[in-house]
Amino acid sequence: MRAILKAKWQLFLRTPWTFITMTILILIFAYLIGGLGIDVKHEIPVFTNIKDVEKTETWSRITESEVFEFQLTTETEAKQALEDHRVEAIVFLDHDDFKVYVATETPNANLLYQLLQSAYTDLFLNESIIEAAEEHGQVVDIVSLQEDLAKQKENPLFSIQSEYFYSDKTVKVDMNLQSLFGFTLFFVIYTIAYNVLFILQEKQSGIWNRMILSPLKKWQMYMGNLLYSFAVGYIQVVAVFALFRYVIGIDFYGGFAKTLLILIPYVFCIVALSLCVVSISKNEQHFNVLIPLISVSFGMLGGAYWPLEIVTSDIMLFLSKLIPITYGMEALKLATLYQMPVQDLLPSMAVLVFMGVVLMGIGINVMEKRSG
Amino acid sequence: MLEVLDLTKRFKKNFAVNGVNLFLEQGEIVGLLGPNGAGKSTTISMIATLIEPNSGDIRLYNESIIKHPEKIRAILGVVPQEIALYQDLTAEENLEFFGRIYRLKGRDLKKRMDEVLEIIGLADKRKEKVKKFSGGMKRRLNIGVALLHNPQLVIMDEPTVGIDPQSRTYILDTVKRLNQEKGITVLYTSHYMEEVEYLCQRIYIMDKGHIIASGTKEELKNILSQENTITIKLDQVRKQFVELLKADPVFRQVMVYDSSIQVMVPKEVNVFTRVLSMAEQSGVELAAIEVKTPTLEDVFLHLTGRALRD
Ligand SMILES: Nc1ncnc2c1ncn2[C@@H]1O[C@H](COP(=O)(O)OP(=O)(O)OP(=O)(O)O)[C@@H](O)[C@H]1O
Ligand SMILES: [Mg+2]
Repeated sequence: MRAILKAKWQLFLRTPWTFITMTILILIFAYLIGGLGIDVKHEIPVFTNIKDVEKTETWSRITESEVFEFQLTTETEAKQALEDHRVEAIVFLDHDDFKVYVATETPNANLLYQLLQSAYTDLFLNESIIEAAEEHGQVVDIVSLQEDLAKQKENPLFSIQSEYFYSDKTVKVDMNLQSLFGFTLFFVIYTIAYNVLFILQEKQSGIWNRMILSPLKKWQMYMGNLLYSFAVGYIQVVAVFALFRYVIGIDFYGGFAKTLLILIPYVFCIVALSLCVVSISKNEQHFNVLIPLISVSFGMLGGAYWPLEIVTSDIMLFLSKLIPITYGMEALKLATLYQMPVQDLLPSMAVLVFMGVVLMGIGINVMEKRSG
Repeated sequence: MLEVLDLTKRFKKNFAVNGVNLFLEQGEIVGLLGPNGAGKSTTISMIATLIEPNSGDIRLYNESIIKHPEKIRAILGVVPQEIALYQDLTAEENLEFFGRIYRLKGRDLKKRMDEVLEIIGLADKRKEKVKKFSGGMKRRLNIGVALLHNPQLVIMDEPTVGIDPQSRTYILDTVKRLNQEKGITVLYTSHYMEEVEYLCQRIYIMDKGHIIASGTKEELKNILSQENTITIKLDQVRKQFVELLKADPVFRQVMVYDSSIQVMVPKEVNVFTRVLSMAEQSGVELAAIEVKTPTLEDVFLHLTGRALRD
């Protein structure tokens, strides 16, 4: 078996370019789509007919946002920016109303709407209470009323819990980590699959038969090949994560080591999946058709491209339960964003191991049946 | 040494190998000859224990190997029809890999690699990638890999397809040398008559899954002792002339080429008078009439009515 690993290593050194290109591709995708290159905040042009809007309560509320950077401008300029796709959305602020203009419906647009909505609702409530008091002919000490209101808020009689995606209280999303995790888990499928494909190539070239005739055992042949694929896949994901952690410096919320642990069952599961795909492939061309089909649909269903948190279709959510990426993403997010301890990650990791074992069993059996 | 009894292999409804019997004595070179799709590779794969037969038996020193493949694997070297090598590795790295899976190590491995490189004449190319090799060099390395563990029995599946004449001669001589100097038993598969005529003491001719003839070269050619092969050369092949030939029962296996016709005729028949009169009747100009001593190619033609290769 060591002979197999050595030969594979020599082959790897001969043609490292696929691996390197693939790694760079992951880096680029994760970097750009995560928006790491640009400012982390999304720029939102704002136009308004409120005078001195910058001195209003509304303005100070909305500019507290960590996601959006509001910039005051004119209506024409704002609309032009939207038309040119330089920004995702623009906002019009009125006294007791606002408008959000978007080019396309994006998760960010949703978030923006929620933010403005909550800012306006709060202020509107305050003002209407003050107005109501004044109407009843009472002389109101506005300052003390407002203090009362503030106190009331700390001890509310009733509380309105507004839940929506991206709210700090319910679901956490970090676009940097989302795209790093998503694209890494997605692209590494290719790296692994094309290494597991060696088995098919060795079968077709007759090398596999030569190994069968040698004193090597079948399990050693599979182990040698699969172990190598595992190692290459794992090295790749670890390299990407490490680069993002230490070079680009993205925040893993202290869960970096845990993510490396989670990647082990994930890579194992993908090795098994690849073996399964190889086993049902009639030839290399067939495999070349199957792999993108499977990986892309897995990527979509498993939340590699967009967070599953924004998916509402029941069918999609059901299907996502069958996809390894789903569990990988889930565990990675729990380990980082939610700062969960290792034992809370075990269920997702166990599912990955289970899937891996099943797929491996199917793969080897189908392969042996076919050659027999 | 090795005995194959009523071996049959079916792929779905297609009998690739159908009731094949053959044997190999220690120290022989035996030829297995047949056209494309005859079932040669399938037979060889069963002997090499790579696929299981549907029925029949294969016995090595009187012991069945179908249930105990390890017995034959230990003494067997297989040269597959395809180039079963890592194209991105060098000759040396390939030999090292295949040597190591046969549990060769350290100094033994190095020594054996040197010997094999010497045998196949690639010692000076050891550091080159297989990818850069010529077809002939690849074929030679393909053979070399099968020799690493000093097998007593070597099975070669068309080891010379698609290579230049020099490499071919080199390979044939290597096989002969291995047999004479090391006493290695060889089962040699080919669809080139010349090769098996040159190499083999005994020959099996295979077609459509059956062994249709077997024996020494002389025995096989004796099949044709009753007939001669005649080549009629003419300016232009006319349909009428061919029909006249075909109508006459003494002419068998009429094969029509661009400017010649080949037929088989019993030895006692006076060919010249017959052919001349037919030529006259159909207005054909004869250029020559040749009588050939039979080759194995002719034996195959005689047995099957088809040429071995196009
Ligand atoms: N794995 C397989 N599945 C289905 N049919 C097969 C398989 N292997 C061989 N055959 C069929 O069995 C027949 C014999 O094939 P085989 O490869 O043994 O012939 P061969 O004599 O080696 O021919 P060639 O000179 O082309 O190598 C052919 O008709 C072939 O199509
Ligand atoms: Mg063949």
